[in-house]
Amino acid sequence: MRLQDKIAVITGGAQGIGRAIALGMGREGAKIVVADLQADKAQIVAAEVQSLGAEAIAVETNVASEMSVRRLAEQAFARFGRVDILVNDAGTYLKAPVVSKSEEDWDRTINVNLGGNFLCARAFVPAMRKQKSGRIISIASSIAHTGAREFADYAASKAGIIGFVKALARELGPDGITVNAICPGSANTDMPRRHRSEEDVMARLRATPLGRVLQPEDIAGPILFLASDAAAYITGQAYNINCGTVML
Amino acid sequence: MNPVALISGGGNGIGRAVAHRLAAAGMSVIVADYDHAAAEQVRGEIADAGGKAEALAVDVTVAREVKAVVTDVAQRFGRIDVLINIAGGSFYTKRIEDFTWAEWQKVIDTNLKGTFLMCREVAPLMQKQKAGRILNTGSNYGVTGSALRAPYSAAKAGIIAFTKSLALELAPDGIRVNTVAPGPTDTPRVMEKETPEARRQRWHAAIPLGRTAKPEDLAELYYFLTTAESDAITGQLFHCNGGLV
Repeated sequence: MRLQDKIAVITGGAQGIGRAIALGMGREGAKIVVADLQADKAQIVAAEVQSLGAEAIAVETNVASEMSVRRLAEQAFARFGRVDILVNDAGTYLKAPVVSKSEEDWDRTINVNLGGNFLCARAFVPAMRKQKSGRIISIASSIAHTGAREFADYAASKAGIIGFVKALARELGPDGITVNAICPGSANTDMPRRHRSEEDVMARLRATPLGRVLQPEDIAGPILFLASDAAAYITGQAYNINCGTVML
Repeated sequence: MNPVALISGGGNGIGRAVAHRLAAAGMSVIVADYDHAAAEQVRGEIADAGGKAEALAVDVTVAREVKAVVTDVAQRFGRIDVLINIAGGSFYTKRIEDFTWAEWQKVIDTNLKGTFLMCREVAPLMQKQKAGRILNTGSNYGVTGSALRAPYSAAKAGIIAFTKSLALELAPDGIRVNTVAPGPTDTPRVMEKETPEARRQRWHAAIPLGRTAKPEDLAELYYFLTTAESDAITGQLFHCNGGLV
């Protein structure tokens, strides 16, 4: 088991990619803190992880709130005593043209997607520095590179994550902490279904060079690798997982 | 049956570490190298560790040699699941006006043409199998450039773009093609030219993780990209450089 007894905090862990990461890390022997705004769903995922034989707790968390992130850190340390892995997956968006996007909606996307990275890193980095080890993995998006119509706030926040990750990697390298981003293409989760028909979603998901539908597990695999000792020399990168739709 | 992996440049440095890693994971490894004695040495090391390996001599810049090696492997093993192209090198550090045409061609051919020739011979077999993974070797210099290494930087940038094109071409057949880009790595070839102390002074401050790579660091990334966990990844560039780039 590649993550035996490691403690992992996964924001946005209650569904989709975050849930796949929580289950994948649990299978590899990690103890999991499922942090999510949706407390009931986080609880369900924590129970799923426990059923794999791994320890897990759920913590209701708003990553855009300093107070809430502080409580998340307190509960994680109270239960497990340390944190080895932070996965920043909590994210949101509201599809709308730039000209009709409200300031409140803009702030919400940027504060959750990008600000959440900052607040969570700030909450867990001091302990990682003391341990002289740690892994921070942030979920960006191919849209950071390509942009997407009516997703300007989301694109900006995800590109911001990549810049943040590179800067933080330089800052934390001397302490043996690696910081990387993953840029998934559109995946088979609930998110795209909020604004498209089922038929449309599946047609778009199948239209990749590999002809394969990107599943949450496809994204969890590389994250398990980055969290493991095998990736000790990799930092400051933004790896693309998208069945070949975007190549950089 | 064990998956079959063909590794060019498998006799030394990063290639040797990759050969060991894949063999440890249960693959049958064909160590192909210009330096046959080195390939033979690695074959022996793997066999001693209980793994399966063969050694072959190949000059990747010579089309008929590449064809002969791939035909030989295909006949003996019946398939090639993984192709890893590592044969290469920068060979020279000098100003552009001092490079001869022959030197330019040596660098371009060993790195870029060698990668093309190996892929050209192996791809049809993988297309028949409807499966396969190809990993080419780039460099951070293929992205950033490097003073005094113009042909090497050009060749490595070429490999990155070649890889993307090949990934698009082979994706319908379920074949994945990616590039691994090592940064400064402690291979015997570079360690011969520089004392550990000089090397530490040159790189320590520039690399956030504070050290140059061991070949084994790279071998883990190559291995990961051959596993099912990377099945949704193609046409991508994977830097492994301690945060230098």
